[in-house]
Amino acid sequence: MSEEIVRAEGLRKSFTLSRKQQKIEKTGETKRVAVNGLSFSAYRGEIYGLLGPNGAGKTTTLRMLSTLIRPDAGDAFICGHSIVKEPERVRDEIGFLTSELKLEGFFTTDYLFDFFGAMHGVEKGTLQKRKRELFQRFGIDRFAQVQVKNLSTGMLQKVSLVISIVHDPSVVIFDEPTNGLDVLTARVVTDFLAELKGMGKSILLSTHIFSLVEKLCDRVGIIFDGRMAAEGPLEEIAGGDLEKSFFDLFYAIKGETV
Amino acid sequence: MKLIALIKKEFHRFFHDPRLIITMLLPGLVIFLLYTVMGEAIHAEPEKQDYKVYVKGEATAFTSVLQTALEEDGNTVEWLPLEDEEAAKKAVEEGEATAILYFSENFNDIISDPSGTGGEVAIVYDPMDEAGSAFYALSTALLQQIGMRFSVRSEPLISEEGIGRQIMQQLLPLIIVCFVFSACMSVTLESVAGEKERGTLSTILVTSAKRLHIALGKIIPLACISMLGALSSFLGVALSMPRLMGISMGFLGGYSVGSYFLLLFLIVSFVPFIVAMISVVSTAARSVKEASAYTSVLMIFVIVLSLVTAFLPTIGNWAVAIPVLNALVFMQQLLAGGLPVWQSLVSIGMNLFYTAGLVLLMTKMLSSEKIMFGK
Repeated sequence: MSEEIVRAEGLRKSFTLSRKQQKIEKTGETKRVAVNGLSFSAYRGEIYGLLGPNGAGKTTTLRMLSTLIRPDAGDAFICGHSIVKEPERVRDEIGFLTSELKLEGFFTTDYLFDFFGAMHGVEKGTLQKRKRELFQRFGIDRFAQVQVKNLSTGMLQKVSLVISIVHDPSVVIFDEPTNGLDVLTARVVTDFLAELKGMGKSILLSTHIFSLVEKLCDRVGIIFDGRMAAEGPLEEIAGGDLEKSFFDLFYAIKGETV
Repeated sequence: MKLIALIKKEFHRFFHDPRLIITMLLPGLVIFLLYTVMGEAIHAEPEKQDYKVYVKGEATAFTSVLQTALEEDGNTVEWLPLEDEEAAKKAVEEGEATAILYFSENFNDIISDPSGTGGEVAIVYDPMDEAGSAFYALSTALLQQIGMRFSVRSEPLISEEGIGRQIMQQLLPLIIVCFVFSACMSVTLESVAGEKERGTLSTILVTSAKRLHIALGKIIPLACISMLGALSSFLGVALSMPRLMGISMGFLGGYSVGSYFLLLFLIVSFVPFIVAMISVVSTAARSVKEASAYTSVLMIFVIVLSLVTAFLPTIGNWAVAIPVLNALVFMQQLLAGGLPVWQSLVSIGMNLFYTAGLVLLMTKMLSSEKIMFGK
């Protein structure tokens, strides 16, 4: 087995429910556990997929790994750096992309690439070389001087993806990478992920789309209610039909029908 | 390097957007044009003056020279002997007479004798009256030209119209503070609350830049940009005020260079404080709309402080400890002709100290997941 690059150990995160949320959900609970003791490992050069229904805790897990939020308990190590004790070191090792994170529409792609490169402390010469390579590879060079607000959805997604890896991170984390995208833009993203894998990057993604996991992932972790229900290589977990395996597991754990 | 990149980004955003530059510099131009037009309308008087001056004591050697100088410009001068002092003062106060000149004994002899010393001239005039100010300026200039052998004592009277103008002087700090606040508000709300609302601030938070640098990377450039706006408004007020108030010498003409610098430093010191205050509020708010509502409350608070300062001029030196209030109190003292040096310097220091506190608070807020990512 190759080198372990992400290791999550008993990650736990809960949120306080507002009165409004309590009313909507008709519950007297004041706390909601989003992630409950989650542990898993991802390895260098692999694509790891966190699969689960909405509200399972996938996004919260990825936000903890990207150091945007702190776990209540547990820890995770990315390239050996603790997300709790060394968040800045972790941020230099990861590229994080989610629909919540946006690029300022006023600036050009070229400017933002340089800006985020500087934010990650990339040396100028290296940055320019990397910009040429990535812009050419992903067909962005013709749009380098176009303001981000004037880009098409597909090109904007490409630009966001390229900027998220401006500092050549070891691990790339994508939260629901194809969510809400049309088929063409979704294709851009899946091709990009495959390219990244080809470049030797380790990728961690969350999704609820079976076909995406089957197409891209080497390993998969299935999450229900913030707990890891199953984890392992795709072939082992899917057993030939990922969707069937997922629902078998779902019924076995939750005892419900969909 | 990261801090510099953050600062450069804010400047780039501002200086490459003509709309932002215009909205920042336009108020100053509008104020200048508006006040100048108002001033022209109010003070549409002929440039030539009819001077009516009461005189006590013999000084024909001086008054004849003064008369020649005044009539050269097409003015007329009427010299009247001072018989009823109270009535003459009232006439000056009401603008019916220009001034009263008191000459010491043997003034004519002293002026004719090149070695003579000890003469004294007292001038009573209304400094808010255009003719009075011009007459005073010319008289004192002439006396100094003669050889500085006379001590000049002036007793400015302030007419009702003058009191109105004095109130304008008292309100100038309020006007400045309001413009400064508006300038800070227009750039800071958009840059901090706007970026948070659009999710672009979170993108920066995912990088390895320190939260302190992100806070400074907002407050430093926004304070510089706001200062531009504040200075534009200040210049608009300062340059147009002479026309509005009908003073030909210039409203700020009588202040020392030191006063100018203290005034400038006071403005410069409270701009970062206001920017930091709005930045903290914008970081806490979930949207520009929410931040705008909170900031409006702050602005009302600042306006109330300004009004208190304008109409309660007896505020003591303890004001140095209160940000904004300190700038208002000592700006007013400076504009009234005082030179509160140590108070101004301590105020500047205090404002910068409070600004540093707000930068740290914003840093803490940027690290708070509840504030940054709470729904």
